[in-house]
Amino acid sequence: MRTTLPRLAGLVALAGFPFLVSSPYYLHLVVLIMIYSIVTLGLDVVFGYTGEVSLGHSALFGIGAYTAGTLALHLGINFWWSLPLGAAFATAFGALLALPALRVTGPYLAMVTLAFATIVQILINEMTFLTNGPLGISLGRPQVFDWRPWFKMPLRRMQDLQFYYVVAILLLLTILLITRLLRSRYGRAFEALRDSPIACDCMAVSVYRHKVLAFMLSAGFAGLAGVLFAYSELYIAPENFGFDLSITFLLAVTVGGRKSRAGPIIGAAIVVFLPNLLADIFLFRVAAGVIAAASLLGGGFTALRFPEKRRTVAMPVALCVAFFAFSLLLRSITDYKLTVFGLMILFVVYYLPDGIYGFVRQGFAVIGLAAPRARVGEQHRESDAWGTAPPATDVGRPLLDVQAVVMQFGGLRALDRVDLAVRAGSVHGLIGPNGSGKSTMMNVLTGIYVPTGGDIAFEGRSIVGDNSSVIAARGIARTFQNVQLFGELSLIENVLVGLHHGFRGTMLDAALQTPRERREEAAARDRAMSLLRFVGLDSVAKEQARNLPYGKQRLLEIARALALDPKLLLLDEPAAGLTAPDIEELMTIIRRVRDHGVTMILIEHHMDVVMSVCTTVSVLDFGQKIAEGAPAQVQRDSRVIAAYLGATHDAEAA
Amino acid sequence: MRPTRRAAIVTIALSVLSLPALAADPIKVGLSGPFTGGSASMGVSMRDGVRLAVAEINKAGGVLGRPIVLVERDDQAKNEIGVQVTQELINKEQVVATLGYINTGVALASQRFYEEAEIPVINNVATGSVITQQFKAPDHEHNFVFRTSANDKIQSSMIANEAVTRQGFKAPAILADSTNYGQLGRQDLEAALAKLGVKPVAEEKFNIGDTDMTSQLLRAKQAGADVILTYGIGPELAQIANGMAKLGWKLPIIGSWTLSMSTFIDNAGPNGDGALMPQTFIQLPNTPKRKAFIEAYQAAYKIDRIPSPVSAAQGYDSMLLLAAAITQAGDTDGNDIRNALENLKTKVDGVVTVYDHPFSATDHEAISSNIPVFGLVHGARVVPAHPEDVQGDKAVRMKTEG
Amino acid sequence: MLILAQLVASGIAVGMIYGVIAFGYQLTFATSRTLNFGQGEALMLGSLVGWTLVAYTGYLIMLPIVLAFGMLQGAVVERLGVRQAIRTKSESGWIMATIALGIIFRNLAENIWGRDELKFPSPLPETPLDVAGVHVLPMEIAIVVGAVAIMLAIEFFNRYSIYGKAVIATADDRDAAGLVGINTSLVITFSYALSSMAAAFAGVLIAPVTLTGATMGGVLGLKGFAVAIIGGLTSGIGVVVGGLILGITENLTGFYLSTGYKDVPGLVLLLLVLSFKPSGLFGRAAIKKV
Repeated sequence: MRTTLPRLAGLVALAGFPFLVSSPYYLHLVVLIMIYSIVTLGLDVVFGYTGEVSLGHSALFGIGAYTAGTLALHLGINFWWSLPLGAAFATAFGALLALPALRVTGPYLAMVTLAFATIVQILINEMTFLTNGPLGISLGRPQVFDWRPWFKMPLRRMQDLQFYYVVAILLLLTILLITRLLRSRYGRAFEALRDSPIACDCMAVSVYRHKVLAFMLSAGFAGLAGVLFAYSELYIAPENFGFDLSITFLLAVTVGGRKSRAGPIIGAAIVVFLPNLLADIFLFRVAAGVIAAASLLGGGFTALRFPEKRRTVAMPVALCVAFFAFSLLLRSITDYKLTVFGLMILFVVYYLPDGIYGFVRQGFAVIGLAAPRARVGEQHRESDAWGTAPPATDVGRPLLDVQAVVMQFGGLRALDRVDLAVRAGSVHGLIGPNGSGKSTMMNVLTGIYVPTGGDIAFEGRSIVGDNSSVIAARGIARTFQNVQLFGELSLIENVLVGLHHGFRGTMLDAALQTPRERREEAAARDRAMSLLRFVGLDSVAKEQARNLPYGKQRLLEIARALALDPKLLLLDEPAAGLTAPDIEELMTIIRRVRDHGVTMILIEHHMDVVMSVCTTVSVLDFGQKIAEGAPAQVQRDSRVIAAYLGATHDAEAA
Repeated sequence: MRPTRRAAIVTIALSVLSLPALAADPIKVGLSGPFTGGSASMGVSMRDGVRLAVAEINKAGGVLGRPIVLVERDDQAKNEIGVQVTQELINKEQVVATLGYINTGVALASQRFYEEAEIPVINNVATGSVITQQFKAPDHEHNFVFRTSANDKIQSSMIANEAVTRQGFKAPAILADSTNYGQLGRQDLEAALAKLGVKPVAEEKFNIGDTDMTSQLLRAKQAGADVILTYGIGPELAQIANGMAKLGWKLPIIGSWTLSMSTFIDNAGPNGDGALMPQTFIQLPNTPKRKAFIEAYQAAYKIDRIPSPVSAAQGYDSMLLLAAAITQAGDTDGNDIRNALENLKTKVDGVVTVYDHPFSATDHEAISSNIPVFGLVHGARVVPAHPEDVQGDKAVRMKTEG
Repeated sequence: MLILAQLVASGIAVGMIYGVIAFGYQLTFATSRTLNFGQGEALMLGSLVGWTLVAYTGYLIMLPIVLAFGMLQGAVVERLGVRQAIRTKSESGWIMATIALGIIFRNLAENIWGRDELKFPSPLPETPLDVAGVHVLPMEIAIVVGAVAIMLAIEFFNRYSIYGKAVIATADDRDAAGLVGINTSLVITFSYALSSMAAAFAGVLIAPVTLTGATMGGVLGLKGFAVAIIGGLTSGIGVVVGGLILGITENLTGFYLSTGYKDVPGLVLLLLVLSFKPSGLFGRAAIKKV
């Protein structure tokens, strides 16, 4: 209810605007804001959610615009066909771009998109036979239908009105689609892959695939907006779509506020109005004054309520006031438009990471006006925590057969021809002093490292060379020595990510919220709650994962891993840092998991845990297996003792 | 009443009566040009020329008793920005007419909006031949685009004649930039050369911002060129001159009027000496009007050499013509101004020439082919290439038909 | 054949400039895993400051002043743009901040020096030398010499001075370096200072051959990226080879294909290398330890 009223007001304002303001100049400005908003909403999915910086959206925008232009110029194809075609071409180019670029981490996407944008601009400029090059393409005004027999008005006015409403409707559809998608598992996946890409991959949610999907989605929206842009400006030239425009889009998303719908729209409005603002020094001073006043109010309020934050707010407030003073001294600001842009970006990066909208939202939250984030489905049916896949029962062959595996890092051999045979239904302990290769073995088994030698067979099939999400989908799940939770997601959302592999629906289902999608989502939520109940965390299901105490975080990881319906569960030092009662709880859970037929490999230093739950234990030292057998037997093995305590003790005992 | 007292009363009465004129509603005239970027020297000179004219007009009481106010906008020589600026001038500022356009591309992209809004535009620097032909009959009832610069048909003929007929070159290479200006100019040049039975041996293109012309020049050299004909603007033209020096292969340069830009002269340095280009105005005080103009410009802007003398003079003249038209029309309606321009009854004493009925319903070009003369770059200035062209009564050349 | 040689010769000089810019990227990437997206603007500022000074001091005396200016500019970029982002481990933060600083520098330069291209007086005679039929400007030879000199100088410094060793240590393992008492924050600032210094130097090297102006930085910075990726962000020899490859390919493309497409091969090469060998032609693939 809290959100419905402002939304309704927004819709009414949107619909009524062209009747309040009839100047074609301002109408055109608002249309431009709406077009930019479509781009920024899409860009927010890439930049705000998956955290990748794209400097190429101007090119995708341009591809949409030039699709419209060239179709009109050479084939006489009109506006309506250009819309889907422009979006489609841009999406295709987006895929072309994302597929190679997102294979690597780091700033590479930024560089690749920058290179791509430059290439596209050059090609548009040079391929004059197609695009007319620097001469540009002029387009004619589009028309829906001639309603002048019924509503008397000049032709120009009718065309302006119709175009306005077409763009407004498309903007609303964009908002709807993106909201639905981000509320679905895709939104979860985007946030998860940002918090911990490794965990994401190990939960069979391919980081790469989702980043590519996010990018392609944003490309499609950029292309659609490009077509609208061409028909709004009625003239396009290669210069329209340069690096500065990409920066403008990014600026809009950062200043407006990421991870929201209102933020990118606010940002689009700011960047469209900015040149106008800067052209008129009086208006600029007014705006600077408003900002200074707002910062003084906000800063003053914060300083009063949170005295410890006094120093941190002093700087941004001082900057805002200085900016206002500076505006009074200047006589003309147009020449410094780009400097203002740059300063805005810096200010936002430093002080307003959540943008204006985020800042406002926080402000409301502090005052107590926060609208609770909408949650789907409060009721949960009792559901079986366990999946339907029957555990492997072939006791003859080992479930996991590691043969002479070697892992070499430069000159260091972390694993030196280690054999490991894990029987189905067993709890196989893996112990050894620090640095013996236990975690390396974990990472090799889950595809994070590719072994330099040897073979690993899971259920008879080799998994060497498979990446983490493929291995996870095959049935190997894991927890991490350094907890890798999706910190900003809630507990239930963390577990839900593990359940993503079971969804049969496509992205389209998620965007449209089809019945199938809703069914699958509800079933997943039920199952997730059951898993949380299993580890005793259901009472705090809605909490953010990073707020959990350390011991509970480890239990959450186990619940999440179980969501994969694994045949083999790898636990990497689950008891590390736990207090005695927590360890008891952990052991109970491990036993219950074993009772359900899930095979486990357990890396541990806590000997009591190893002794009480493991059926077999293998011991590693300096990358080699030095002993294997029943726990009690291994405990007494002299080589094992020597490895842990040193040879002198062995000599003493002898 | 004693004569002095009567004079005093009359003076006071006149002052009181003229007060409404001082407080009168200003006439807004748009000014669109590049004030930043590679074309800036042209835009700034044009703007300064127009401002000079406006100051003089307002000092003399304005037009129709109202002061002229310029609404200046920087189009950065970019077509798409020109479009935006145009829409702002028409819809937001609601100007009665616009002076401007340095760049052909910007003009071609933006003029349709003036035509639609029925607001006259006087192109004072842009030379693309098509500019005044965009809205011809019978497709359009009225044409709202006028021009006071020498269009490219005229210039390309002059260039071709100078190169082939007067100087006897047989193997010209054309180097043109990739903008509308360069490419349309190149087409005009090809046509002009064809009329003289000559085909260019090489035609090369370069982009605005390019600094290395080695490839283009090497290809021209390979083709055996004996003269370089240019259609570009200052910075890139300088790189052509410098590029030739670097290759140790120097050919004469004959090109469009932009070779007079200070950015060419300064950046090419000694490599630019000897370049020839058609000019409607060379900074020489060889008539009283021109002397007054040059001195006023130098005093107002505190410089000696005008960065783009042609732009300044043509800009100045365009404002004078517009003022005369508005005065004749009696109001600021677009159609009335257009009508007045096409049927100008008063002679306008401009810097470039004396305008006597410069436009008609079918002819919107104020400059005819006999008006421009050749300029020569020499010692960091532009001087007349053939001094006999500007001597005596040839100093002011008035428009002839065709 | 002669034309081919001419194209290759011109390509070598500009390729070395690309190499120096890429070298600058390497310096900061090694110690901080960040890059200065405004590196092109560092080159531009060095070139414009040099242009202002050279009228009063002559080329040789101008050089150390520009180098010092470059170091200062780099330190400012690091302090304002990068430090905060490194602390908060925000990747997009330093990307956006260095871009923003680049934009600000460009705009300020436009207002101080104007938007026109300016001619930089050449310290060496501008008549080309005839080397077996190929025309080479003396300045182009100076560019090659200068580029190699600055890269070697920085390399030597890293290897043989104590401060240099601190840089290498930080590059290797930032946490360990901090633990042995190295002020890693200062090292990072220093690597940014060196990086901008190299770029500023490249700016005054290339300016006499092309024109200088506020907009010269953008494309050069991008080409520097391409070379850094192609050569490998960890290999010193890689950037030299990568730069030469790029410079020569550009000239050949410009002549045999069309000058408009000159910039394309570098960018396409960048995309290809990133797709198939992200560590670059000469870089070593690093295995990330979890």
